[in-house]
Amino acid sequence: MQTRERSSRRRFLKRAVAGSAAAVAAPMVIPSSALGLDGAVPPSERIRVAGIGIGRRGEYDLGCFLQQPDVQFVAICDVKQARRDAVKAIADKHHGTAECRTYHDFRELLDQPDVDAVLIATGPNWHGLMAMQAAQAGKDVYCEKPCTKNIAESLILRDTMRRCGTVFQAGTQRRNLPHFAFACELARTGRLGRITRVYAHPAGMKAFSSGWLPEDPAPDPAVADWDMYLGPAAWRPFNAKTLADGFNFEKGGGLVGGGVLEWGSHCVDLCQWAVNDCLPPTDYAPPVDDQIVCRYANGTELIFREKDWIPLGSCPVRFEGETGWVEAGDSGKIVLSSPELMAGRKVEEIGGYPATFHVRDFLDCCKTRGKPKGNADAACNAHIACHAANIALFLGRPVKLDTESWQFVNDEAANRLRSESLREPWRL
Amino acid sequence: MTRKHKRWSRWCVVLVWATVAGTSHGRADDAAPQAREQELVAVLRSETPEAEKALAFKGLAVHGSPACVEAVAAYLGNERLASWSRITLEAIPGNAASAALRAAAGPDTKLASRQLVGVINSLGVRGDAAAVPLLATRLGDGDPNVAAAAAAALGKIGTADAAAALSKALAAEKPDREAVAEACVVCGERLLAAGNTTAAVALFQAVRAAEFSDQRRAEATRAAILAQGRDGIPLLVDLLKSAPQRLFNMGLFTARELAVGPDRDPALAYEVDRALLEAFTSSAASDAGRGRRPLLIDLLADRNATGASAAVQKTILEAARGDDAAVRLAAIRAIGRCGDASAAAGLLEIAAGAGPAVLAAVREAIATMPADGVNEVIVARLAGSDAGSLPLVIGLVGDRRITTAAGAVLPFVEHDDPAVRTAAMAALGSVIELKDLGILVHRVADPRDDAEFAAATTALKEAAVRMADRDGCAAVIAEAIGSAGPRAGVLVDTLADVGGGKALATVAAAAKSGHQSLADAATRVLGKWMTADAAPVLLELATTDAAGPYRGRAMKGYLRIARQFALPEAERAEMCRRALAAAQDPADRKAVIEILVRYPHPATLAVAQEACAIPDVADEAKAAVTTIEGKLAPPAGGT
Repeated sequence: MQTRERSSRRRFLKRAVAGSAAAVAAPMVIPSSALGLDGAVPPSERIRVAGIGIGRRGEYDLGCFLQQPDVQFVAICDVKQARRDAVKAIADKHHGTAECRTYHDFRELLDQPDVDAVLIATGPNWHGLMAMQAAQAGKDVYCEKPCTKNIAESLILRDTMRRCGTVFQAGTQRRNLPHFAFACELARTGRLGRITRVYAHPAGMKAFSSGWLPEDPAPDPAVADWDMYLGPAAWRPFNAKTLADGFNFEKGGGLVGGGVLEWGSHCVDLCQWAVNDCLPPTDYAPPVDDQIVCRYANGTELIFREKDWIPLGSCPVRFEGETGWVEAGDSGKIVLSSPELMAGRKVEEIGGYPATFHVRDFLDCCKTRGKPKGNADAACNAHIACHAANIALFLGRPVKLDTESWQFVNDEAANRLRSESLREPWRL
Repeated sequence: MTRKHKRWSRWCVVLVWATVAGTSHGRADDAAPQAREQELVAVLRSETPEAEKALAFKGLAVHGSPACVEAVAAYLGNERLASWSRITLEAIPGNAASAALRAAAGPDTKLASRQLVGVINSLGVRGDAAAVPLLATRLGDGDPNVAAAAAAALGKIGTADAAAALSKALAAEKPDREAVAEACVVCGERLLAAGNTTAAVALFQAVRAAEFSDQRRAEATRAAILAQGRDGIPLLVDLLKSAPQRLFNMGLFTARELAVGPDRDPALAYEVDRALLEAFTSSAASDAGRGRRPLLIDLLADRNATGASAAVQKTILEAARGDDAAVRLAAIRAIGRCGDASAAAGLLEIAAGAGPAVLAAVREAIATMPADGVNEVIVARLAGSDAGSLPLVIGLVGDRRITTAAGAVLPFVEHDDPAVRTAAMAALGSVIELKDLGILVHRVADPRDDAEFAAATTALKEAAVRMADRDGCAAVIAEAIGSAGPRAGVLVDTLADVGGGKALATVAAAAKSGHQSLADAATRVLGKWMTADAAPVLLELATTDAAGPYRGRAMKGYLRIARQFALPEAERAEMCRRALAAAQDPADRKAVIEILVRYPHPATLAVAQEACAIPDVADEAKAAVTTIEGKLAPPAGGT
């Protein structure tokens, strides 16, 4: 565990050891349905959620959290003062109080004993490391995607969540949408026959190693803390555009950026759910005829493509089996090879990929300690598939991944890209 | 910087970009790898600005060999570039990089605290066993950040020597003992993975025995439970009886990991469940325990998702009959996940005369019960249930799609009780067969009241979309359209959901019927038709007066197909040509031009060129021609 101010952590831990029941008390869990108080949940029984790096996407997620009657949003952390102020205003207005606390340094926020869970919506640069530090501090984690920057980080994330007993939900909310869930169920339950191919839309098939924008004068840290924004990413000259583009900053890491992660982290997650939450593919190849073809150990192919989709909206997936197929997308609709596959099921069409159900799933699991749909194991496997595909893209040739050792087979060049050192003092 | 250095610097930047870009595009480079490496090392040794050196480090991370280690390691103390140096050193296999890191972290180091922490972190990432002695020394460093880093690195290295060093540090009164405790668990996991269970368990127990935060104790206890299997069960029970929520939560979490899944040891799983049942029973003795009982039930259900044992089911069913509302609801939900047919019967008994919350929970639970024999239990209840219970039982026929019960449900459509009638219609949406579909169609066309109309509409839609014989289904619906009066639009909407040739033909006829409301409904659904075979129909409606005032809507529907559907480009181009000729609204002609640009192809280019002669889109067409030509042109220069 790393700290800049170890004294504050010591104070917290001493409190935790000395009076653990009080210091780390979590709400007594009573299902809200049993309260019968017009759905209102007393503050003492709410899950206390804090946010880190709430920007545009994060505000949407925050809205989903605040819709839930058993959530109390207690604190916000951001390197930009304007964002701290804005999110505090949202939370205070919602709760009718002025009690939402603000923090500059997320480690101080994680030290707070009255935070049960964190919503991490920083850019991808911080997702994995922050999620792990939150877990080590005993907080449950809802983390926007992509959750990791490389294969090694994906594995460490998974192991950390297991070790710490953390309820982790990746921001892969499509698992909790009924039409996607139905499509995956058809595949998993054999209704399509043996699955031969699964298709994912990556929204990008270029992996690259980038340079820098010209250097700008660095801002006042009190206004925008560039050093903290940079965090685990290696030093580079400050540029205001980089600060403003948190969504893309270090997506995929510094050595191999870009690639298939943008929609891939959603679509591959669904594809692998369709194949029984399988491990990532073992074989990856660079694009041929605008398709990246990967192969799982059981012979099923995972194909990344950007064209030839039925117009069903963004993040489409398609599962083909020996006796049928299904295609689904963000419109909420599904298309089947045969209406018999519906078999009388009622599948609600929810378009627009809302995260409300995903947040609810997360909160329920925070209480039960069960595994949410976008759990760390599933997220790890989906992200590794995307990172490995990116490595094949970057190297411009096929690579083969051993899904026991998690090393590329006889491939030093690919193995160099499995991980990337973090800027000191940060570590995974 | 001198002019010479500036030129050198610019050349190096170009070189680095070419090197890295060449790799990223997978092109074969002419320079041998060693020469490339030397060029990048030369950048590091030059006066090039730091930003450009960082790019050189990137290149060396991908292409560097032990030969570059000395030049790279020289930056381990540089405030800005140290992390770049370590990115490279972590990537280069072999002892040279490890040795450089060890040297930098040794007793004579000149590194500032932050950079020293970084170097120690890298030793951990590399799993450098040779670094254990120096890391063991660093455990006692006066700088707590360095000591914590050393502990973490030893944890990652995970050898017996690392474990020994960490164990010794556990006992010391140091401010960073939490970091040591955390590292012990990580180290123990490594030892366990290597087959050294005894040493691993010793580490876990050492952390448990000492005074650490609940989080560290929880982690160590979980690890000890999973490492010991059967011998870990008492620890699991201890967790589940712990007062601190953090420890109890870890108990719930770990119980979902121990002896679960298709490869579980059934004997161990049985013992774990038995221990959990005892914990559940004893939890009734205290207020805190009682509040946790719903969670324990949920845990039992999760562990027994493929079917509960008799003992687990008995306990959960008893809880479902108890006085505690929260426990009862949790138990009902749990039965739904892991109970058998006899449990379904038990739930139906519980539901008789129960309040809405229990009724809803029972219905939801039985609806998704995976066990065999549940359908038979439900069907048997159809004959004997009173009006109060029938909606639930009939509802379950629909929820579970018990198609063999469709005939038994049909008579309930005429029941005296409106709740029974509504439930019957809803269920028929899921189970009715094509031969009886007309019953629902009739209820839509000629309903008894608004409630029946609403229920029949929903049911018809559900039934229609699942019929394997789409054309047969469409034919049944088509028969009723003429006599449905104001409700015909609903039937048209349903045909859109059915799809297929007969449905399309029926909707097309409706669009041309001359009845405004029918034409309105028909052209609306044609505009959203999910297959491209609607295109000729839409074109006809757009170019004639057949659809009355809806010509424009038909054209927009036609354009939607051209825009969104996967089509042979020649066919799409022909559609655009026809649309240009037929469109009455200039906005529609402009939309055609946008479609042409969206699909650059010689066929669409030809249409765009023709469109240059159409006055109100001439400018757009000319721009489109330029754009399409540009997209079709081969890349300049080639590769």
